[in-house]
Order: sequence, then structure tokens, then C-alpha cells
Amino acid sequence: MTALRRIAQALAIPAVLLLAVTLQLALVNRAPLPGGATPDLVLLAVAAIAVCTGPMTGMLAGFCGGLALDIAPPAAHLAGEYALVFCLVGYACGRVRNAITYSTGEQTMITSLTVVALGVAAGEAGKAAMGMMLSDPNVTSPAIKHVLPAAIIYDLLLCPFAYWLISLVLRRPAPERAPRPEFAQVATAFRAASAGALGAVPPLRLAGSTRPPARPPVRQEPKLRLSAGRPSSLSGTSSAFSPAKPPLVGGRAVKLNFAEHTAGTVAPQPRQRSSPGKGWLRARPTAGAPVLKHRPPPKGWLRASRPAGAAPLRRRSPGKGWLRAARPAGTPAMQSGSPPKGWLHADRPRRPAGTAALSRKSPGRGWLRPAKPVPPARLKKPGRGWLRPARPAKLSWYAKSRSSQWVRRSNSPWRSRRRRLLALVGVRR
Amino acid sequence: MHDGRRTRPVLIVLLIAAIALITLDFRDAGSSPAHAIGADVFGPVERTASAVASPFESLFRTASGRDSSEIASLQKQNDQLRAQLAQNKVTNEEQAQLSQLLRLTNASHYRVVAATVIAAGGAYSDTVTIDAGTRAGITTNETVLNGDGLVGTVTAATGSSATVQLATDAAATIGVRMDGTNEIGAVTGTGSTLGAAQQLKLTLFSATAVLQPGQTVVTFGSVGGRPYVPGVPVGLVTQVTSQPGALTQTALVQPFADFTGLGVLGVVVSK
Repeated sequence: MTALRRIAQALAIPAVLLLAVTLQLALVNRAPLPGGATPDLVLLAVAAIAVCTGPMTGMLAGFCGGLALDIAPPAAHLAGEYALVFCLVGYACGRVRNAITYSTGEQTMITSLTVVALGVAAGEAGKAAMGMMLSDPNVTSPAIKHVLPAAIIYDLLLCPFAYWLISLVLRRPAPERAPRPEFAQVATAFRAASAGALGAVPPLRLAGSTRPPARPPVRQEPKLRLSAGRPSSLSGTSSAFSPAKPPLVGGRAVKLNFAEHTAGTVAPQPRQRSSPGKGWLRARPTAGAPVLKHRPPPKGWLRASRPAGAAPLRRRSPGKGWLRAARPAGTPAMQSGSPPKGWLHADRPRRPAGTAALSRKSPGRGWLRPAKPVPPARLKKPGRGWLRPARPAKLSWYAKSRSSQWVRRSNSPWRSRRRRLLALVGVRR
Repeated sequence: MHDGRRTRPVLIVLLIAAIALITLDFRDAGSSPAHAIGADVFGPVERTASAVASPFESLFRTASGRDSSEIASLQKQNDQLRAQLAQNKVTNEEQAQLSQLLRLTNASHYRVVAATVIAAGGAYSDTVTIDAGTRAGITTNETVLNGDGLVGTVTAATGSSATVQLATDAAATIGVRMDGTNEIGAVTGTGSTLGAAQQLKLTLFSATAVLQPGQTVVTFGSVGGRPYVPGVPVGLVTQVTSQPGALTQTALVQPFADFTGLGVLGVVVSK
């Protein structure tokens, strides 16, 4: 059954295109329509096919249909003009339709019609632009002014009919790929909630209160201070080696990779090892940002025994006494500017002391390198796969980055928004 | 239907193919083999479609003010008579001058092949396809007319079909002279620049010639009758648009032929 359907569809698309080309040339072009323009049936068919199937079929249909219009006898323009334009229109319509389908989880008549209409209008404009570009004597700006609006209007008038006809021919029993489950869940929950706003309300809003939150709030972390509570924290060694995570002034826990590596007690996370995703910088509170930009570190960055100079970003103007309290009184080494010996070794044990001492004054490019494990494979072949998408084809509107998980991992504002949204509709992550 | 990793490479290949086609056709000035292949493939299809769609066609012609009971044979006869009349209208004196100037062959060397329009070009170009080709003796650069007047010239011909560039096409330029005053000039198509109005633009080469609405424009003729034979009526001057002080005089010409309802055409072929 499905095989038969498939064969029938594969035959239906060329048949539809051939019919459109023939009708266009033998009938529509000869009709004395007011305005001096004619609708383009082939363009309509290509856009509707692309929306009903996808970008691959759409662009193949566009190329073939456009080429047929290019070389069929009365054509006066150059061969390949319409093939180029229609191919792009088919691809774009298919892509947009896929994006809409995967982000909303459904495909409605209105969105499909809108995509077809936009694609057809863009195709008419593209035809005119191609003619202008190739200096066709017939396609001049006054001619375009007369023809283009009328042609677009005719196309838009025929657009619903063409889409209805094509979707009849290419009707599929089920969508090719199910939409992403979470969005389907969200959509269902929203629909249920909006439907329930009038009648019975499902207990969606209370879900957040009955279930434990997905992540414990940050405020619940034990508050660690740099001040007198730990007088020995002057030497960065102890803080780096301590299993407790170095705190931030704002009370948020900092996850610093080099501390974990040097400690040896914490196993390195394999995900960050293998491929630092897009959010590798955001995963910890923007510690390295000023350093990557080669800004000189803030004045107290050495004295504060903070291993990564993370605090200066979080607190741009620290309070007056926060540095002194963290430092036992009367350490001459700090004031003279030469740190204790073990300080740098503790932070970056792989580097010799000499280089470290050099980088102390103005941290060079690689001073944070142990914290950023870059896989050698990525460095070796950066240019491969330019033709292919970097990911397997899991398309969704937010997963266009290197890692499809970046929203979950990163500190991007969308993460909290998404979490709030999911909590609102009662989807537990 | 699987839209995965292959989509983008295929798109790039298709775009490159299209650009290569455009380049080849641009190099050959629009006469690359692609057009010949297309004519061979789509010519029969268009012929069939035109036969199927003839009721609609007659509907269109009725809508555009034409008598639907026109019979093709009568029209063909009319065309032939009209062509002979056009040839006879060239007086002997003018004939001698023209033949001396242009080495024009005698009018008896022409005959008219009747053909029917089976397809038309898009919104921008003014071209039609007729259902007769090289097998009927039609070659490129031959004059096409109908019962009313000049229609155009043949730009491409295959075995069973030929492409006619209408006189209203923006790429068409026809040498003409004014009937009566024998002032010479050129008529250019306006394409779609005037909207649906199918008018021609006349430029007289003489700055002192008298140009006024109502004058008739006929073809001047070309070497060997290609692409235009002499004496075919083109149209009537409707509006003089020349600027004072301009070197040439210009006017708008309303063609005799109705280009929106073309049916049976005659192609003037050399014997």
C-alpha cells in the first residue's frame, strides 16, 4: 500500500509539472487577461509541491519545472533562468515549511498557504530580477512595474486553488517525522489549558508546587565567603585543592575546570572533555571572558586568591574591605607583587613556573588552557564537512547550533524561560 | 522526500547547473542546443494541448472581440491574398528602386505557408509558437503576417514548430517607410512597458519629414526579404511624440494585427 502510494506520488509530481507547463504555454499565456500579465502555474505548482513534501522534492521540482519553461519553444529568455529561480523557491518553501512544522509541531492550512503565497511572490520577483540582471530587452523597469504587481495578484488569487489541488494529489497518510516530543507536549498542554480556561481546568498550574523543582535554587547553596572564615585562603593552593567549590561573591557556586583537573579527586566530565559545546564559556560564570579579550586583570586578582579571577566580573566594584579580610594581615609577599611559589603550581601544574610567572603580569593567550580542553581532532580538521550540516539532521528551531543541548546546558536566557514555560504547563524535565 | 544531509549538496549542484545553462545560452545569444531540445520535446505536447484547448481558445477570441466562426481555410486564403496585395502595392518604380538598392528579389519568389498558434510566451516576452516548421519550408528570419498586417518574424524553427517573435516584442526592430511620403524609419516594439496596450514606437530618420496621426506605416523590406519583406502594412500612427528640436521624429503606432488574439498566421517563405 505504502509502496504503491509512493510510486503514485513519484509519478504524480512530474505529471503535475508537465500539466502545469502545458497549460501555462498553450492556454494561460494566450489568455488576454487585463493588466498584461499572466499567472505562473508552474511557479504555483512548485511552491505547493515544496510545501506539501519538503525542500529536496521542492527544489528538484522547481529545477525541472523551471527548465521546462526555459526551453519550451516560445521562450525568449535564456535557458536556466527560471530553473535557478524556481529551484531556490522550492528549496526555501520546503525549508520554511519544515521549520514551522518542527517548531510548532503541526501544519495548518493557513501557514502552508502563507508559505506558498510568499514563495510565489518571491519567485515572480526573482524572475524579474533575473531578467534585469541578464539585460533581457523585454524586462525593463517600466515593464516590471506593469507586469510584476499584476502577476503577483493573479498568482495569489490562484494560490489556494493550486495548494488544494496539489495537496489532494500528494496527500500523505501521516507526517514523515513526528515533531519533537517536548514541543508536542507543550502544544498539547497549552491547548488543554486554553480549552480549560472556559471549563474544567486541569491541574496544570499546580504541578510546579507538587513536584520538586527541576534544579535546586541557587540560593540554597551554602554561602561561602572569602573573608575571615577562611584566613588561609590567601594561598590559592588550598582553595584550588579544596574539594569545596570556590564560591563567588554573589553566592553562586563556580565550577572551574582546572580546579577539578588538578584536584584529581573529581573525575573530568566526559562531555566537556570531548567537545566543548557552544556554552562552554557560559557553563561557568563568565570567568575567562576578560582574560580572553586580553584585558589586564583587575588590580587585586592576584591577591584575592581566587583561582580564575572570576569575581571581578561578578562584582565590578567590590566592597572596600573584601580583599583585606580575605588576606591575613602582613603578608609581604603579596604586597611586593611576587606570589608564593605554590600558588601558580597549584593552579596550573602543567606549566613550568617560569612561564607562569611571566603570564602573571599580563596573562597571555593560553593561560586558561587547562580549563579548556580542546579535542585535537577539532583543531586538526576545522574545515571539513562544509558541505554537510554539522549535525545529523535533527532539525528544530533552536537546535541550529553546534550542540543540540545548548539550551539545557548554557546560561542563555532561553534556558530559564524554557524552564519556566515547562514548569508552567507541568512538563517535568 | 527525505530531507537530510543530501539536501544542500543537491541544491548546490542544481544551482551550478542552472548557472552553467545560463552561461552557455548567454554565449550563444539565446540559441543554445537546449532550446532545440526543448522545441523537439515540447512542440508535440503543445500541439496536442492546443488541440485540446481549442474551445477555450475560441472562447478567448470571442472575449477579445473576434468572430469565433472564422474558418481557417478562409483565413489562409485571405492571408495569401493580402500578401499578394502587399506585394502589388509596391509600385513598379519603387520596386525598381528597392531592388536596385536592396537587391530585392521579385515578388513572385514568395509563397505563404499557413500555420496556427499553439503556444505563447510568458508575461514579459512577446513570442508565440506556430505548428509548422522546417518540414513546411519555414526557416528563421522569415516574415510572419496575418489578415490584418505584419505580425513578426521567425526566430527559431525546428521540424514541426517554429518560434515567432512578435513585432511588439521589445527586442524587435523593423525597418518601415511611411505609406505615401516614403520617409523611412524604424519601428520598435514596446514589450510590456505600456502595460496591456500593444503599441509600437516609430522613429523617422528624417528630421524634416511630415509626421501626423493617421498615416499608414508599411515595412521597408530587408535584403533578400529577411527578416521582413517589403510592403506589409504595419499600423497607423496614433500619436506623435517627438520633442521639438530633436534630431528624429517619434510617434506611437497602433498595429493592424491584434496581438492578443492571434490564430492563423501566414509565413512568407521563399520558393
